[in-house]
Amino acid sequence: MTQSVSIDKSAAARRAPRARSRRLVLDSGWGRSLLQLAAVLAFFALWEGAARLGWVSNFLVGSPAKILDALIRDIRSHQLFVDTGYTLFEAILGFVFGTAVGSACGLALWYSPFVARLIEPFIVAINSVPKIAFAPIVILWFGTGLISKVALAISLTAIVALIAAYEAAKDADPDLQALLVTLGADKNDVFMKVVVPFTLPYVISTFRINVGFGLVGAVVGEFISSEKGLGHMIFTASSLYDLNTVWAGLFVLMAIGFVLYFLIDLVERKLLPWRQASNTSTLKV
Amino acid sequence: MSVQLALRNIRKSFSNKLGSVDVLGGLTFDIHERDFVSIIGPSGCGKTTVFNVIAGLLEADSGDIVYRGQAVNGLRGKVGYMMQRDLLLPWRTVLQNVLIGPELSNMPAAQSHEMAMEYLNTYGLAGFENAYPRMLSGGMRQRVALIRTLINDPDIILLDEPFSALDYQTRLYLEGVLMEAVETFHKTVVLVTHDIDEAVALSKRVVVLGGRPSQVKKIYDIDIAARSPIGARSDPNFAGYFHALCGELDIQTEVRAA
Repeated sequence: MTQSVSIDKSAAARRAPRARSRRLVLDSGWGRSLLQLAAVLAFFALWEGAARLGWVSNFLVGSPAKILDALIRDIRSHQLFVDTGYTLFEAILGFVFGTAVGSACGLALWYSPFVARLIEPFIVAINSVPKIAFAPIVILWFGTGLISKVALAISLTAIVALIAAYEAAKDADPDLQALLVTLGADKNDVFMKVVVPFTLPYVISTFRINVGFGLVGAVVGEFISSEKGLGHMIFTASSLYDLNTVWAGLFVLMAIGFVLYFLIDLVERKLLPWRQASNTSTLKV
Repeated sequence: MSVQLALRNIRKSFSNKLGSVDVLGGLTFDIHERDFVSIIGPSGCGKTTVFNVIAGLLEADSGDIVYRGQAVNGLRGKVGYMMQRDLLLPWRTVLQNVLIGPELSNMPAAQSHEMAMEYLNTYGLAGFENAYPRMLSGGMRQRVALIRTLINDPDIILLDEPFSALDYQTRLYLEGVLMEAVETFHKTVVLVTHDIDEAVALSKRVVVLGGRPSQVKKIYDIDIAARSPIGARSDPNFAGYFHALCGELDIQTEVRAA
């Protein structure tokens, strides 16, 4: 197999050596990173220039240099670590519990189409309320501390995971299930050996969405009532018209989201080795 | 020859919102020990339904299934089922796919592992045991499916057009592999196909279904000595059976002006 691939490559190289090498420079890992870095630097340079030259209001948009000052200030006072740690902890707890409980319930519904049909309208009803609207109640119930933020994050993530897992489990290949039955499998065997692995890629794809929702739950909870966290930092800074600190908080949130996204990529690769095991090259249209 | 599996007056209909459709209208035929029976018929005649009834995936509306003298509801766990789709679990490696049957019957892992490796060696899949199905060719995947069927040591192997998605060369090769395996392990085979050529070349007997709801129209004993797919197709009797069965199915290849 490797042999045929390498033959293919050399044949392509013989046909169009120049076009190939040009594409290689820009489309290789380093070339791409360089382009992306250049775009980011250009963006901040433009922003800083516009702020210094007075093209935009310093008061309303802030400036990268002052954002950096705000970041350094909060790092020195260790406040940034406290806030980041707090928000990260809430978001991850909410994400893990919400996704786990939601996926488990969604999968369990496979066992009984009757129960699934029975509760479907209720799930749709709950899903159609913007979960953020629960925030005031959640704060009332669970207080202003960590629990209320985690609860809010769970309410956001659980439904997404439940619906995705249930829909996927419902579609699990009936022929594969039939095959297992002819081999003597009972319902639990079919569930564990076909339905769960079949559903796993869909569940994992909700991880990406739910990591974001976990952060939404944590930050919105902090907006409403809290003493710590990035949401608290952003909220108090904005009420003092300290735009640079607001930006600092937003960039830290972005960084957290970014890191979590790549962690999930890693988890996906570990959990679904069979999805990577393809030697087909992408079609060029 | 003694009867291994007897179908007695099997009826089955399916109903939907538009009404009910009778698919099987009282099928009766026998399958002998170590038999190789092909079931052919026009498309939509319920070949796959017969299969699902035998396999225990569907319950017949009426009629009896008698297995070695005992009335049964279907042969769940006693049959090996192979379809046109190889139905390998994409998240399992070749070895893990082969081991699904032993896993379900709680066979000791060491013993089943050894057996699986032996089979993989025999069928030219050594070195691929840790590959995932999507990395294999269609022929290789179907060979894995065959091993998965054989390792479970089923009493009857049910084949539902298992080779029809493959190219002709691969198909002849796999037919040979199948014939040899059946001889070696003394298996009974029931093959559903729309391919008359395949039915004649492989079978000892051919059951022709016809009518709506379908019934057994005729049963042919195929008297061809050669047991290899190519040898059988070269046998002097081959053409005669081929003709007769085409006639049974009322196949017309001439295009006539309407």
